[in-house]
Amino acid sequence: MKTTFALVGAAIGLAVAAPASAGGLLKAPVADWTGGAVTCEIIHQILENEMDYKVKRITMPSGPGVAEGLRGGDLDFACETWPSYSTTKEKYVTEYGGDGSVKYFAPVGVIGQSGYFVPRYMIEGDGAVAPDLKTYADLNKYKGLFKTLESGDKGRLIGCPVAAWECKDAERIAGLSLDYQLVELGSETAHWAEMKAAYARKEPFLAYAWTPHWIFAELDLVEIGLPPHSEEAWPVSDWPEDVTYNYGRPDLSDDHPQVVQLIENFRLSNDEQAGLILAIDIEGKDIEDVASAWLADNKSTWTNWVPQTN
Amino acid sequence: MADIANPTGKGLDLNGPWARAGGAAIILILSLIVLYTIGEEQVFPEAATSRFPFADWVNNAEDWLKANLRWLTRAISSGVGWALETVEEFLWTVSWWVVLIGLVVPSLAYGGLRLAIITTLGVMMWGAFDMWYEAMSTLSMMGISVGLSIFFGVLIGVASAQSDRFEAAVRPILDTMQVMPAFVYLLPAIFFFGIGPTAATMAVMIYAMPPMIRLTNLGIRQVPETMVEAARSYGCTPRQMLFKVQIPQALPSIMLGVNQTIMMALALAVLAVFVGGGGLGEQVWKAIVKLKVGWSLEGGLCIVAMAIIFDRLSQAMSSQPEAPKLNRGEMLFRLLPQSWEPYFLARWIEQTINVVWVGVATVSTAITRAVAKAVGVISKPAGEVIGKRPHLVMALTLIAIIMILQEYAPRSWRPGDYPGDWEFSIRKPVDDAIAALTIYPPFYSVTQWMRAITYLYFLKPIDFFLTHLPWWYVSVLFTAIAWYIAGWRLGLLTVLSLLFCGASGLWGLTMYTITGTTVSVLFCLLIGIPFGVWAAYSRLADMILRPILDTMQTIPAFVYLVPALFFFGGNPTTAVIATVIYAIPPVIRATALGLRQVPVEVDEVARSFGTTPLQALVKLKIPLALPSIMLGVNQTVIMALAMQTVTPLVAGLGLGKEVYDAMNIADTGKGLTAGLGIVLMAVVLDRLSLAITANQWAALGLK
Repeated sequence: MKTTFALVGAAIGLAVAAPASAGGLLKAPVADWTGGAVTCEIIHQILENEMDYKVKRITMPSGPGVAEGLRGGDLDFACETWPSYSTTKEKYVTEYGGDGSVKYFAPVGVIGQSGYFVPRYMIEGDGAVAPDLKTYADLNKYKGLFKTLESGDKGRLIGCPVAAWECKDAERIAGLSLDYQLVELGSETAHWAEMKAAYARKEPFLAYAWTPHWIFAELDLVEIGLPPHSEEAWPVSDWPEDVTYNYGRPDLSDDHPQVVQLIENFRLSNDEQAGLILAIDIEGKDIEDVASAWLADNKSTWTNWVPQTN
Repeated sequence: MADIANPTGKGLDLNGPWARAGGAAIILILSLIVLYTIGEEQVFPEAATSRFPFADWVNNAEDWLKANLRWLTRAISSGVGWALETVEEFLWTVSWWVVLIGLVVPSLAYGGLRLAIITTLGVMMWGAFDMWYEAMSTLSMMGISVGLSIFFGVLIGVASAQSDRFEAAVRPILDTMQVMPAFVYLLPAIFFFGIGPTAATMAVMIYAMPPMIRLTNLGIRQVPETMVEAARSYGCTPRQMLFKVQIPQALPSIMLGVNQTIMMALALAVLAVFVGGGGLGEQVWKAIVKLKVGWSLEGGLCIVAMAIIFDRLSQAMSSQPEAPKLNRGEMLFRLLPQSWEPYFLARWIEQTINVVWVGVATVSTAITRAVAKAVGVISKPAGEVIGKRPHLVMALTLIAIIMILQEYAPRSWRPGDYPGDWEFSIRKPVDDAIAALTIYPPFYSVTQWMRAITYLYFLKPIDFFLTHLPWWYVSVLFTAIAWYIAGWRLGLLTVLSLLFCGASGLWGLTMYTITGTTVSVLFCLLIGIPFGVWAAYSRLADMILRPILDTMQTIPAFVYLVPALFFFGGNPTTAVIATVIYAIPPVIRATALGLRQVPVEVDEVARSFGTTPLQALVKLKIPLALPSIMLGVNQTVIMALAMQTVTPLVAGLGLGKEVYDAMNIADTGKGLTAGLGIVLMAVVLDRLSLAITANQWAALGLK
């Protein structure tokens, strides 16, 4: 009996004593969307392979929870925030008028663009029901196609899924005098599920979406033209470019300056990210493998990012 | 019913069915008149909403807490975090056989061979779906949070059993803890307790502790007064009274509390991902953000398996094993149904099992005796305790052997991890089936027909009615109903709740939530009662329904939200469908239970009067089972309200959406206000249905 307890105790003791990494342990959330996740995975692998850090990847919904984690010091950095979808930047990020409890590090290099989209089969091909649908000006003509049970005589526009995002769909609909009812599906999951199911049934739909995004790897969508973006006309215009950025907790620059330096040097273009997204979502490869393959192929690019004074 | 309620049948019968129907008709006509004279969407007066900045008060309080209390919460969190990590590391590093034995041996000891097989299959499912490590994380999180919930729950439960005043103070807090949407406190939990399983554990405890407190309190209060008196006359000290009389007597009730706490904790396992809690919830979340139904189903089934194992195990541990009723000369069946006893093949299988069973029992008894004797040399009481628990000795012995093998045996002999060859996946078939159904026209036309009926004939008119009637009219109406059924106290609570929602600027959303909940509960009754009747009359139906109902209650809603979206589309009907799936099991269970508890004589009497079975059911048995059915309805209502906080993820509207939106902008005040709206509604509806139940009992002359 006693030996049993001693053995159990010894096993627990052995299990607890885990080896620590020389550079230290960093904690970072994994983004919900493939693009953000692969951006971060590249940074994580450089930190782990070249700079002797260990990165604990934490799965949680990207959103205000991440900001709370950074402010509380429980997370060290996070990748690829999209200004349009950050609901807390005005509160916490100095660059947007916040109190500085979350720190802006540097742009990712990926530039996002939002818009309204319809499936290509509506416009082109044999069964095309709306061949002339090109810009917002044509939308009222085709509103009958987008009618649903709940929208009555109006067409249905599937707007931004989350109320807090900077989409201002309602103002845009009113400003462009579109005879459409705005529908907000509550979560990204519901948004993409609705589009994917309608696409599978070859039904017409008009929905908000943004690039780069994995949904474009699955569905062939065409953008509906909006008046070009301008500060004065906003929100009755196209969206501004989303200059995505990496960010983290303010003290990270003091605790691990070389980590912040790496993040500041890091850049990834839209085209590069699109290739990575394709490999993950369409070819079904593992995100870790895709990131390490990219690192193997682009050594000359990323070696310059690694800070020399290590 | 009316005859029983008003046996004289003379005079003005205010409680008769005709009087009630007449009253309802008058109210309906009056409402329609008010509706057509006013006829536009109503808002709560601006004067009240601008003077009641409840959300701001909450946010100020939160800021103060954040500035002044964080050192304390962080200290708690590091303690809990250490315990969590220790357990998790242990479960991650030991061989999977250790976990299997740790769960199967008690299952065998308390629940017999059948439970042991269920447990084995459940544990193997975690490995088969390649989610072993995630399952172990969830298991450790559940272990710690359930353990802490039991400890503090019993403590608070004992305290509230000692003092009526304390109990009265605790009760509304418990209601709030159970119904307050988790989305309200998950974000603040990150700041106070950090990212990871610790914050998740704290959130789980908020939700899972109330049943422990309630049932401990109830159990102790139900200890017969004569027993307490007798103990006191023998000179029991208060401490002896508690530990030697009250707690042992209350043990069945306390164990029921443990069972409920485990189930509630598992229900929250998925939401742990919102604070980076990891585990199986992480798998489900990763799957649904990519719309991978098959993957999320695997994760969900792993959680269901865990829930079923712990539910059955804790039930088996808390109930006394009842000796099976055997006819003369019949042999005891351990695996197959006893009714198969006459068949030779079944008897042959059972005979084989019996030989193994007796062999195992002999060996373990011998080992236990030896160990007990050895320990008895050092300490006699310890030896006796061990001697009475052969399963504990066996489990520890087997675990020790495996751990020794793992450490010292040659590599090929080591038990190790779950073997990769035993893995299988249901992802592709499930995804293919869902994709095929999504585009299958006959199926789609059925779902669209359901959507049209639900929206056009239920959601739209009821919502129109409630939002277009003036707020004061709706308030007076609801208050009067509550007063009529349950007395002035509930009437007062109703009016205060409605005024709170209105003054917080949530009038329209509150009305929508009432609509959504009402329609969902209505559907639960329309579908659930027939199923319950079926299960009451047919053993086979009961056998088929039980695991399905268990799954519906414990599978994370996220898993079926995506298929519901594929089939029904992103609209309010999908939210109703999801709510019905989650909230229907109690109605079915309670109906089946209520009907089965109706005395057999009722059937015989009915038959002797020549009534048809249908008449007997509708006129006699359902009225007699009504109190029991109402308890099920009560639970369904609460569950439907709880689901209102999940449905915003699939285009659900109302207060739940307000909570969810508030979380997205990290506004605790806004979220808490809407959350309180849901809590108040739940409390009112709970008390209302309990009052109706009590009236039914009274009408039957039973209580």
